[in-house]
Amino acid sequence: MHVLIFSWEYPPRIVGKLATYVHELATQLSRHKISVHVITYHEFMTGVNEDSGIKTVRVTNPVRTHTGVLTWVLTLNQEVERAAANVYYEKNRKIDLIDVHDWHFIPAAVTLKAALNVPFIYSVESLEDHRSHFANQPFNMAIKSIEWLGMYEAALITVKSDWMKEEAARLYNAPKQKIAVISPESPSWIANILNTYTRVTGGA
Amino acid sequence: MRAPRIMMLTWEFPPRVIGGISPHVYFLSKSLSKNGAEVYVVTCDFPGAPSHEIVDGVKVYRIDSYKNPSPDFASWVYLMNINMQKEAAHLANELGGIDVFHAHDWLVATAGIGLKHVFRKPLIVTMHSTEIGRRDGLHTATEHMIHETEAWLTYEAWKVICCSNYMTSHVRWAFGLPNDKLVMVPNGVNTEMYDKINQSGLSEFRRKYALPEEKIVLFVGRLVYEKGVHVLVNAIPRIIDKVNAKFVIVGNGYMKDQLLSIVKSMGLEHKVLFAGFLDEADLVKLQKCADVSVVPSLFEPFGIVALEAMAAQSPVVVSDTGGLSEIVDHDLTGVKVYPNNPDSLAWGITRVLLDSNYSTSLRINAYKKVREKYNWDRIAVETMKVYEEVIAQYSKSFWA
Repeated sequence: MHVLIFSWEYPPRIVGKLATYVHELATQLSRHKISVHVITYHEFMTGVNEDSGIKTVRVTNPVRTHTGVLTWVLTLNQEVERAAANVYYEKNRKIDLIDVHDWHFIPAAVTLKAALNVPFIYSVESLEDHRSHFANQPFNMAIKSIEWLGMYEAALITVKSDWMKEEAARLYNAPKQKIAVISPESPSWIANILNTYTRVTGGA
Repeated sequence: MRAPRIMMLTWEFPPRVIGGISPHVYFLSKSLSKNGAEVYVVTCDFPGAPSHEIVDGVKVYRIDSYKNPSPDFASWVYLMNINMQKEAAHLANELGGIDVFHAHDWLVATAGIGLKHVFRKPLIVTMHSTEIGRRDGLHTATEHMIHETEAWLTYEAWKVICCSNYMTSHVRWAFGLPNDKLVMVPNGVNTEMYDKINQSGLSEFRRKYALPEEKIVLFVGRLVYEKGVHVLVNAIPRIIDKVNAKFVIVGNGYMKDQLLSIVKSMGLEHKVLFAGFLDEADLVKLQKCADVSVVPSLFEPFGIVALEAMAAQSPVVVSDTGGLSEIVDHDLTGVKVYPNNPDSLAWGITRVLLDSNYSTSLRINAYKKVREKYNWDRIAVETMKVYEEVIAQYSKSFWA
């Protein structure tokens, strides 16, 4: 199985706890003989790399000046698409799945799904409603609309707690049968992840 | 070889008309499909317009243009592009592939760039304008951001089309592009639309805008700084000293309130009519009625409005800048005046209004030039050559 992981943070760039989590995920997937490419952002350390079996592609934003994180994210997505497409064509179009972590690279996942017919899983670390509680400025609304798009277009949604499952259903009307709860603390964590991947790819 | 399959990306297409890109893409697409291309237009939706229709052989698809509140215009553009690239990707697959993506301006930059890479097909860009030109420099973070988006778009493009020699060299300078990436294909104008107007009904129509004894001086454009409408307002007293005229200003923009108050403070309210945005049928008639059409722009990549006036056989007075300098030959097809100079502008307008032999010869020459040089069939043939050249180069690349 060939999987692309999209995350806006990945070591050595650590913003919150997502970077470490995604690194552990990629490491475990490699150990389970899953071919993984992590596509992520780095300001200057760009390009293709490989470290203990995990291939990374780091892209930077061609647009240097921004009015905020929203425009920065929205223009970074095309570089993510370019990096993902490069892997896709190098692998003779055999990419089975994209696992996109949080909202940042959902637009790229949606385009790749539409263009190349690669399904994606939206893995929720956090949601805008909780990050910016009660904030409903157009800025927050835009991020929420991207989260909604991710929930709508994803083949499956994974969350890390039962509480988050309820929240995803409450905030975005995501159908509960589409949401899998996979706790990183559980001993069967990676088995559950693999199980979820197989649910989407149909055993590829 | 089968007909090249072109997907046009544009944020405006009739009936959605905001600026010059909309009519440009409409006439270009229509003439291209007449001249052997298969053209699909992907554009923003518009109230009342169907999400899919065939217009003069062109297949038009209107996407959900993102209607949630956006923090600002640029953010809306990028958000709209998410939907555009998603829907365009679905469409490209349904059609069994696209040969060339053709994007118009930075407003569809991210969609165009994304589609290029996911499908690995060539991207061609028409740069209708630039941020650095519109704003006369880059002053804010937003302006820098848009400029850098434009730079990225031209970097990703296989070829960059500009509508005038002026714009070609401006774009080369603004983004540091190599010469062989730039192609000049002029903009066109549809003369038939003006020719079919019945002259006899016009005097009745004219009365809505001016008294019979008043000459009509017409300005058509967005009321924004770079269009120089404030220069025209400043020229008015110098003109009405010599000739009885009514100044009809068509269009809207952020300078409208300011212009209204200047006109009021000058005591010229009875001589200036702000007509707002007009639909095409009324605009065409008004252009036919105009005794002179004025294009006082400070920055003008092309100057389609001057061509329209010439097609309507209205004499033109333009500022000698940008694309306008190339369209108009002074004393032959129009009058050129110094940009940002109300004295010079007043001189040009007065000259046309007071000398009817002179203005008649301008009308005749200008109409002839427009029919010969700025005709859409000719432009479609030139654009087809660009597509064919790019497709031929692409077919030898490792992406093919």
